[in-house]
Amino acid sequence: MSSSTQTVLVGQGALIEALLRGEFICRTSNEDAWRALKSQTTRDSVEQYLNQINRTLASAGEGEVFFCGYLQLGDDERKVISSQFRDICHALIPLVEWLVLVQEASGQDAPLSEGAAVRLNELQTRIEDTPAFREQLAKISHYRLFGSSSTQVDAQIKLVFKRLVELGYLLRPNQEKQIYIATGKLDYLYEVIRFIDETEGLSLEAQAETATQRDLI
Amino acid sequence: MSSNLHQAGVKLLKQLGRHADLIMDVYLSGSIAEDGENDSAIDKLRKADILWRPEPGQELRLKRSVRALLEEALSDERNRQIDANVGSSLATIKTLADHYKEARHSADYSASEAYLADLSEQVYSFTEGLKYSIRVLWSRINNEFGYVGTINAKIRENELAQSQVSELLNGLEMFQFSELGEIAGDIRELRKLLVTRLQETLSDCTQELSVVQGRLLELLGRFRQIQGRTRLLKGWLLYTDMHPDYEVADHVSHKQLPTLFNRAEAILAPAAVDVSNTAQEVELLAMVSQIKSISRAGRDLVMRDHDVAFALVEAEDFDIPDNPLKLAVDEYFCAVIDSGINQSALDYLRQKEMDWDPESWLYQVICGYEGLPEEHRRYFELEPIGERHPVYSGNFIIRDVELGLA
Repeated sequence: MSSSTQTVLVGQGALIEALLRGEFICRTSNEDAWRALKSQTTRDSVEQYLNQINRTLASAGEGEVFFCGYLQLGDDERKVISSQFRDICHALIPLVEWLVLVQEASGQDAPLSEGAAVRLNELQTRIEDTPAFREQLAKISHYRLFGSSSTQVDAQIKLVFKRLVELGYLLRPNQEKQIYIATGKLDYLYEVIRFIDETEGLSLEAQAETATQRDLI
Repeated sequence: MSSNLHQAGVKLLKQLGRHADLIMDVYLSGSIAEDGENDSAIDKLRKADILWRPEPGQELRLKRSVRALLEEALSDERNRQIDANVGSSLATIKTLADHYKEARHSADYSASEAYLADLSEQVYSFTEGLKYSIRVLWSRINNEFGYVGTINAKIRENELAQSQVSELLNGLEMFQFSELGEIAGDIRELRKLLVTRLQETLSDCTQELSVVQGRLLELLGRFRQIQGRTRLLKGWLLYTDMHPDYEVADHVSHKQLPTLFNRAEAILAPAAVDVSNTAQEVELLAMVSQIKSISRAGRDLVMRDHDVAFALVEAEDFDIPDNPLKLAVDEYFCAVIDSGINQSALDYLRQKEMDWDPESWLYQVICGYEGLPEEHRRYFELEPIGERHPVYSGNFIIRDVELGLA
């Protein structure tokens, strides 16, 4: 048994543990594990292990985000999944409003996606300076997902970011700095919205397009 | 004729140099107003056809050729102009080749040489222009159309670049090397120019253009994805605003579950110590007692005196007061010299009734003897008085010392 195989085994152990903890593995949150999962052999052996406990490796965001799913669905598993689905559906509106707020307040073309950094202080100044953003933030922070009861921008925004870190949408690499990095779970969120859009035929993109054109006129 | 041309060119370039500031101002701002400040200079530049007025009542602008020269020399990324007009270049090249062949046929060597020089110039400038166009495209790709702000503008820029690439590629297709080969015939110079040289460049350029096209498509895809996400979010908000009672359909109740929603529950919960569980207290305390605290803070905390006044002065005289024991020993030595008879140290001590500790006294006497300078020590003899250790051989216990003159 050479030392190199041992390290691989140990690494894979940590990787499987992360999956079983319900984590989303992406390049930003766990680069080593993400790299390992990009290789077919590791993926196969992880899958083999997970299959023994009725789990399987699932991926989203064009294979850039990995998570753990059930291999076979019994009644119990279905219960878990529908409760999770309800959770994510309830979280959709607050999260989308937050994403749009961040995008508009920082004046960017692109909404937050994996690997993008948010500087809380800059964002806070911009929001504080614009009454419309302040109102929007107050509305977002009072959703049950974030559950703030404060009237101060500072407390509201800090709570929202803290919750987002807890939920795994953001990372805070340095505890002493107010810089947050978006994780692959956000990309997962986009995929969920896209899925709902496509299956229910909401044609959200077209609606947004006509709305902006009407604004222009 | 050629000297005239030379002179006129030098004059033009000098004029450009003399009014370099003004020209760069026009280049950067796009146009210049005639407000009487630089009137004479502007007038000269107008006469030299460097500045021109596109329409009456409009401000003066730089001539396209001067602007192109600056754009090219400065690698200005705002330059989006690409000369995709391959057809006319091709026609010129063919015409010049025909001229050359005719002149050669009629053995007019000076004319044929002039035509050949013209033809080479044409071919070289054509290939150079082609390479320049590709360079411009690359520089735009490499900074991802950074010179425009919004995603929509980037997408439009990308589409413009793509149409330019396809135009260039279409133009390059017009080159039929079999035809060029026929024109060149068996004339070595023509074959070299029209066949070898052009073919090499064109195949390089075609290859590079296809890479450019690939990159452009890739970029466009990314831009569209970003744009799509923004629209998706906005659309979602719009939709939920318009339909407040909207609820997401239950996508997980189907028999076939979409993999996206198949997320297993976490079976490894984050671990934490339960400090309120008294049953684990012993183990926890054992663990805690093994924790080594390495605390570097607070160590190495040296208080330094700050702002202590320091002056460089002459060292003050100081003296070390003599040890009284040492003085007493000195006296003992003197007494021995005075009397001239051997005397034991402890006897002297008792005789003088001094209250030194006998052992310290003995040590000091021995030290005093050993400490004498060599020439003084020779006058004395120090005899230890004592006995051997009863158990450990080789040890000698000194009870007293006797000092005498040698």
